[in-house]
Order: sequence, then C-alpha cells, then structure tokens
Amino acid sequence: MADTKTFQPDLGFVKGVMEAGGDTVNRCYQCATCSVVCPLSTEESPFPRKEMLWAQWGMADRIAGDADVWLCHQCGDCSTYCPRDAKPGDVLGAIRANAIKYYAQPKALADLFSNKAGVLAVVGASYIAWLIVIFLWSLYTGERFLFPEGDVKYYKLLTFIPIDALALPAAGIAAWAGYMGITAFWRDLCKGSGYVSYSGTPVKPAIGPFIFKYIIPAFQEILAHSRFEKCGQTRERVQGHKLMLYSFIILFIVTCIVFVVNDMIYVPFLGHHFTPMPLWNPIKIAANIGAVMLVAGSWMVWQMRKRKTEEGVFKSSEQDWLLIYLIFAVGVTGVAAEVIRLFNIALLAYPIYVLHLATVVTLFLSIPYSKFAHLLYRTTAYVFQLYEKDLKEGKAGWGMEKEVLPPNPEEAEKAAH
Amino acid sequence: MSESILVIGGGFSGLTAAVEAAEMGYEVFIVEKEAYLGGRVAQLNKYFPKLCPPTCGLEINFKRIQTNPKITYYTLADVESISGNPGNFSVSIRVNPRGTTPQCTNCKAGEAAATSEVPNEFNFGMDTRKAIYMPHPMAFPNQCVLDLANTSPDEIEAIKAAMPAGHIDQEQQAETITLNVGAIVVATGWKPYDAEKIDNLKIGQFDNVVTNMMVERMASPSGPTGGKVVRPSDKEEPKTVGFVQCAGSRDVNHLAFCSQICCMATLKQVTYLREQNPDIEAYIFYIDMRAPGARYEKFYEKIKQDDKVHFIKGKVADIIPGDAPGSVKLVAEDTLGGGRIEQEVELAVLATGMQPVGAESPIPGIEYDADGFVVPKEGIIPCGCSKRPADVVSSAQSATAAALKAVQTLVRRAG
Repeated sequence: MADTKTFQPDLGFVKGVMEAGGDTVNRCYQCATCSVVCPLSTEESPFPRKEMLWAQWGMADRIAGDADVWLCHQCGDCSTYCPRDAKPGDVLGAIRANAIKYYAQPKALADLFSNKAGVLAVVGASYIAWLIVIFLWSLYTGERFLFPEGDVKYYKLLTFIPIDALALPAAGIAAWAGYMGITAFWRDLCKGSGYVSYSGTPVKPAIGPFIFKYIIPAFQEILAHSRFEKCGQTRERVQGHKLMLYSFIILFIVTCIVFVVNDMIYVPFLGHHFTPMPLWNPIKIAANIGAVMLVAGSWMVWQMRKRKTEEGVFKSSEQDWLLIYLIFAVGVTGVAAEVIRLFNIALLAYPIYVLHLATVVTLFLSIPYSKFAHLLYRTTAYVFQLYEKDLKEGKAGWGMEKEVLPPNPEEAEKAAH
Repeated sequence: MSESILVIGGGFSGLTAAVEAAEMGYEVFIVEKEAYLGGRVAQLNKYFPKLCPPTCGLEINFKRIQTNPKITYYTLADVESISGNPGNFSVSIRVNPRGTTPQCTNCKAGEAAATSEVPNEFNFGMDTRKAIYMPHPMAFPNQCVLDLANTSPDEIEAIKAAMPAGHIDQEQQAETITLNVGAIVVATGWKPYDAEKIDNLKIGQFDNVVTNMMVERMASPSGPTGGKVVRPSDKEEPKTVGFVQCAGSRDVNHLAFCSQICCMATLKQVTYLREQNPDIEAYIFYIDMRAPGARYEKFYEKIKQDDKVHFIKGKVADIIPGDAPGSVKLVAEDTLGGGRIEQEVELAVLATGMQPVGAESPIPGIEYDADGFVVPKEGIIPCGCSKRPADVVSSAQSATAAALKAVQTLVRRAG
C-alpha cells in the first residue's frame, strides 16, 4: 500500500464555509456542470467543481493554494445550471470571505469589519479621532474648534499635516496587513501548484518580468474588466463596478495632484492655499466627475446586487453589503461636504466633512480585512495565473530561455537502443 | 359496489395488470389514449439486457387479452374524471373516433389517395404519415386510423373512395361512457423528457443531436431509417457517437430523480452501433453509471471491455458546433483528471429521462406528487412508471402487485 494517501479533513473549514454562505456545498455530486457552464473556467484547470469537492472534504490547504477561487467573479451561471442546487457560486464566495479572514492580521480587525456593528464602531472611533486631531490642531492654528469663523474652508479645520497624522498610520496598517496577506497567499499558491524551491520557499519571478510580464498585463485585464464581462447572469454588474474602480483611480490621481500643488508648492512657497479650487478648474472638474462616478457606480452595484439576490441568482452576505454601503457613504458624504461648502452652511458642512474623513479612513483601513481585500487577492491570483502558465511552459523569465522542445519519439527510441 | 377493475393505460404495465386481474376472474377495462396497446415498449427496438425485440413480451400479453372475455379495452380514449370511493368509483371516459371499421387492417390504397402528410409521432417526427395510417406494423388492435380531426372533408372522401367499401366511417363521433368500477390501476406511464427544455444542450439548434428514444426508433427494423442509426442531417452512418447521460434527470431544474433506465438504455444502444459497424466509436459522458443488479452489472462490464467505447466521468453541460460539417462538440469536464474537454462527435444522443405522464396530463381525481408520480390510495393503485421510474421487468412486477391490490380492494369491500 505504498501509494496510500492519508489526509485529515479539516471539519472546521467545512463548517466555516457553510456558515459563511456556502451551506449548500454538501449537495454537490460532482457532475461538473459548473466547470463547463462557467465562462471563466479554463481547459487545464476547470473550476468550480474541484473546489466543491475540496470544500466538502475539508481540504483547506488545497483551497488555500488555489488561484481559481479568486478567478471567479460570482456571476452565478454555475448556480443557475447546478442540477443539485448546490450553488457553487455562493460556496466560492464563502470560501473567499473566509480566505480574507484567514490571511488578515490581526484577526480581530477582520472580525470587526465583518459585521455592521463593527464597521459602525470603526467609523465612530475614527470620527472621534478626527475630532481630537481637529481640537489639537485648532490649538495650534487658533481657529475655533470644529466651526472656524468666516466662509467654509476646510483647510481651516485641517491641513495635510494633521490629516496625514491620522491617515498615514491607518494606511500604514492597511499596507502592512495587505502585504502580509498577499505574500502568505502567494506562498500558498506556490505550494498549491507545486512550484516551491528545494528549501520550501515560494518561487517568484525576477522583478523585471514580474512587473512587465505579469503585473502590468494583469492590471490591464482588470482595468478592462474583460473577464468580468464574460460573466453571464450578472453582466450588468460590470458597469457599476467599472465606474467605481475608475472613480477610485481618478480620485487617487487628483488627490495626489492636490497634495503636490497645494501642500508642496502653494502653502510652503506661496504662503496660501490652492484649495478650495474654483469649479472650472480642470482638476476640480475631474474630482467632481470622479465623485459622481463613485456615487453612481456604488448605487448601481447596490441595486444590481439587491435584484440578483432577490431573484436567487446568488446570496449576499453582510460583508458584501457593508462594502457597498461604505463606498456609497464615502461618495455621498464627499459630494455633500462639497455642495454644503458651496452653500456656505458651516453648521452642516464641517460635521459632514469630518464624517467623510471618518468613512474614508474606515474604508482604507478595511482594505485587507473586509470584502475590499478582493482587490488584493484577486489581483494576486490574476498575476499568479499568468506566471504559473509561463512556469509550466518554462519561460517565466525575460523570454530568452532556451526553448524546450517536446521529446521526439523516434529519437527517443534510437537512444533507447 | 362494483366487481370490476379499471386499468388506465395500455402499456406494458397496464396490459400486465389487466391480464393478471382478468385471469383471477375479475372483469377489467383498459383505457388507452393512443390508437394501439403496447405503449412505450412498442417503440423500442430491443429490451436490455437480453437484447430481444419487444414483440417477445407484448405478443404474449396481446394473446392473453384476445382470449380472455373478461377484458374490454378502449383505444383513443381518455379518462375525463373519477369520482366515488373504493369499491364504487364512477369514471367518465371519452372515446375518440377512429374513422375506420375493424375490417380495415390494411390502408395502402387509402394512403396512396391521401394528399396531406404530417410528422409521425410514433417515430418522433423523423418521418411522416398520411391522413390514414397504421400506427405501426405490429399495432394491436390491428386496425388503421383515419385522422378525422386534421383532415379536410375532400381528402377524407378521396381516401374513402380508394378504400374497400365499409372500411371507412367518417361519421363516427366521440362518445363519453361512464364505467362503474371497484378499483383503479393507474398505469399511465411516462414520456421522454422534453429535451428542448434543457437549454444548454441545444437540441433544437443542431440536426445531429437526437434523443435516446429517437435512436430506438432508428435502430428498429420498422423505424424511419429501416433499422440503421444515421445522422439526421445527411442520413449517413456516424463514425463517432456521443451519449449525454442524465439529460434532464437527477436535476432539480428538470427531473429531480434518477430515471433508472437511461444508463442501461445507452449501454444497449452502444450494442446497436457496434453491431451496425465495428468502426463506430462511442463516448459515454456520465455522472455515475447505474447498472443495478448482477445481470445489469454484467452487461455494463461487458461493454466496458470494448475498447471502442469510451467512458468519461463528467456531465455534458454544453454542446457547440464541431469542426466537421454536421458534427458537434460535447463539452464536459473529465473529472478523473482530464481537464475540460470538447469531444467532437458526428452524432450526439441525449439520454433523456422519464417524465411521468401525470406531470403534464394529470387526471382529475388522482393525486400526484411534486414530480407527477401517482400517490397510491385505497382503491387507486399506481404501477409501472406512473409510480416511479422503472425498467420493463420491474414495471411488470409492480403491475402484478397492483392487480393483486386491486382485487384485494374488491374483496375487502364485498366482504
């Protein structure tokens, strides 16, 4: 019995998947309808049939090392055609939700971000933190606390120094946790696909090919939403998701520009603020377009998810909703803060501005802990898939490797004689 | 109180129940909706696993019916309603006109005179029939049918003129009769699940995707292709044939249950093909092959020995156009490690399952479960495939049991 394999089913893992929305996993009888109807499933590594088996059997390590879990965009086609109503789409969603928790550090933050009360608590805590920062800053500037005198101008409340004093540590935590999560996931992916070095360390490409052959093409694919668009049942979701992604990019760029222009040039050298910009300023126009896109995109995704959940195409967990609500809240408070500022209603404007800052900090802090982490892991899975394909073909470097020819049967026979 | 038994359905189960009860001395009425007795079995080419033609069992039952004065049968008849209680049911039956008289056993002259042609239901529309026709060569009763409802008066007159005098009677009207019976055996059987409903298998989009019952008719010597399994598109013999198991069965979106017979039917049809041409290769895509019992297992093992028959564990969930004209590709995941495959075949056979007739044509007064199977009640006894999916042998056994139950109902009430 030399080829006997023993494995210990991780029953806790199965239970976790079932509790996270994959309660139908045990209905699966492995017909593989799902792997065929899935528009994203590949020839060499079809999914989600194998993931259903691994989840049923509690093979947690196989799931952890499987990029395919993240290549699913949960369109629901598999669940629609599943003859057993085992809802593979929901099971994969549950597996992803648990994977985010699994890779999150510290775990307590992941628990906090996985329920409504926790997210509200974080928003509340950051609101209070902002108030403290504003108070301390007002001692320095001499402005009245929370409601500075004169026209509504947010720089009277906070400038980039106090903002960064709070936002940078939050971003730092998120970046550190995200990095830890991604590297742990990468290690699992390497193990899962069998690409580990002799010492057991995960493989990774040289930095050049990493960026140019894998990361950039993966980003291009994500920007184009080309896979997401293949999803059958929920194709409409793509538009809202695209709007949100593009708006984040636009808002990120304008924030950077404002940071450089205002905080690096205007304030230190010219001694006055560049903000608030007039509405005709191209940067302001871009920012406003981005804001509207964010609100519209999150609203569209919200409505789409609501409809599809009601139709039974897929299940929606609390984490699914929380991310949408949070992004929507960021967009709405941002737009409201600007509009009320234009109307110069100080009593409303400043508290809403602080609320906007609180939701933004919460959103960014949540990246590695909430459903937002799909940004990290799905991107990693995209990159890994491209890399793994090249690894298999022996050309994961700069492309100058010696071409490995398939063995010639005639010559092999000659050699044998 | 009534001392007689009604058998609804004149297929293999109904015939068996009827002769068993009649041979125990009870009066039996058979109501059959088609123009002939024999039901689905009459459409088969061969039984599994013995591979003998259906004439075997049917002929014996027809003989027993003919020689037993206790049996009355109605063809082209539908049960309209059932009322009353065990021991005393009142059943209303509509008997539709046949348009011919019993001496009309050959209608070649009438067929020649008929001008219209309609798809032949008996052969699943693979050929046509005329307005006057014999349902199939071994039809019992051996009497032609004139399609009164769908034929113009002029055409009927022309057919009548061509036929011997006294053979055609177009004046016949549908009549409703009422039977008083003590027990009812329900043997309404099954119909092949409508493959058009399985939208991902696209049967309507490809000429060369057929159902297993169509293969049965093609393989039958009296069938539309004279006993040869061919591709509908060009009538050529296929070199590769793919079988799609569980086409609709074991699927909550279609038939939630296993249809019991499709695995064996496919294995049987593989023997037709391999006999027809030793070069034909067969690809069987399955979830689980089900060959219950020692005899069926042996049959399965025998087919497995054939290296031209390939078994792929994975359900076909998509069918796409093939590279060669007329061919299709069956898309499945080979779950034993072969990845996602597209197998090109010249003919694809959907092993469609059994839908109980009650699912779409329930009879008022009979209770059905969610799938359309009859719920047994005192005095209303289902058998065969109206009760659960079954092969012919099990159907016959359940029919014998149902006959006994029906007799018990009468005896208990009388006692």
